[in-house]
Amino acid sequence: MIRVAAVGDIHLSPDSRGLLRPAWETLGDCADMLLLAGDLTRHGTLEEAEVVAAEIKGLPVPVVAVLGNHDYHSDLQDDVTSVLERAGATVLEGGGTVLDVDGTRVGIAGTKGFGGGFAGRSAGEFGEPEMKAFVRYSRRCAADLARSLLELRDRRCEVRIALTHFSPVPDTLAGEPPEIYPFLGSYLLAEAIDESEADLAVHGHAHLGTEHGMTAGGVKVRNVAQPVIGHAFAVYHLPVDLRIDVPAVG
Amino acid sequence: MKGPEASEYRIARLRDRLADEEISELGVRIDMRGGYVHLWGTVSTAACRTEILRIAETELGGLPVRADLTVACATVPERPEELE
Ligand SMILES: [Fe+2]
Ligand SMILES: [Fe+2]
Repeated sequence: MIRVAAVGDIHLSPDSRGLLRPAWETLGDCADMLLLAGDLTRHGTLEEAEVVAAEIKGLPVPVVAVLGNHDYHSDLQDDVTSVLERAGATVLEGGGTVLDVDGTRVGIAGTKGFGGGFAGRSAGEFGEPEMKAFVRYSRRCAADLARSLLELRDRRCEVRIALTHFSPVPDTLAGEPPEIYPFLGSYLLAEAIDESEADLAVHGHAHLGTEHGMTAGGVKVRNVAQPVIGHAFAVYHLPVDLRIDVPAVG
Repeated sequence: MKGPEASEYRIARLRDRLADEEISELGVRIDMRGGYVHLWGTVSTAACRTEILRIAETELGGLPVRADLTVACATVPERPEELE
């Protein structure tokens, strides 16, 4: 069994320094990893990123993160990434990482993801260049997620988790105003998760949403935005699949 | 300008301002109900809540406000969820 701790949307800034550290220091007792689902800062400044870095530095479990839209706000996403990586986190955007949990290989594929909406009511790649760029960006995030999840399968990961900021499903948005659903996620992410048969999908971004959801393909989805889970993190126990996966030929 | 239209625009401006630079607190819902502006949701710190209420006062210019803003909890969860 793999113990996954996760939280997103902590939105730290200098006035919240040290807020999560006491709870996070107990992670060694209850989790094998900490996943951060983006929006770690308020405005994506380096000062705020340093606050996040201080919270994660030297934690007893590995930390894997994606950034959120707020972490892009100051156009310093690469520098924010470096600050977090210097503090020991693995920051994913379109890639994957493998953790060894007592001999079990756990793969995590991450992307911020983007909006566009959900099946049947989603934005199309049509019309103005701005609209096309929007949809194209969302597609690229989803394609990267699918590719890295499949790569993790080829790297013989027994458990694979999709980590995003934007939501793959509308289920976990319940509580948000329906008019803004297209800005909260994209079904393309769910398609990527289903195609590559991930074991769990974790996201944030929807502060007013709900924790539990599921993709059309039956993959469990958890919205771990801090206001939603109401704690410094949530913990999920994932069973280890003992079936031997033979990668399809072709 | 007075009337419902004026208050709609004021609420829209408040939403924009909260989503903007100063607070970036998208976890706050703002609605008009029975002549009151309702603000509810979860914010990250108590300082944040105070700031939101201050901004609401300046942007809403006298519209009566009812606020129910909770501060997010930074505690350890009581139990894990077992996924099958
Ligand atoms: Fe957020
Ligand atoms: Fe967000």
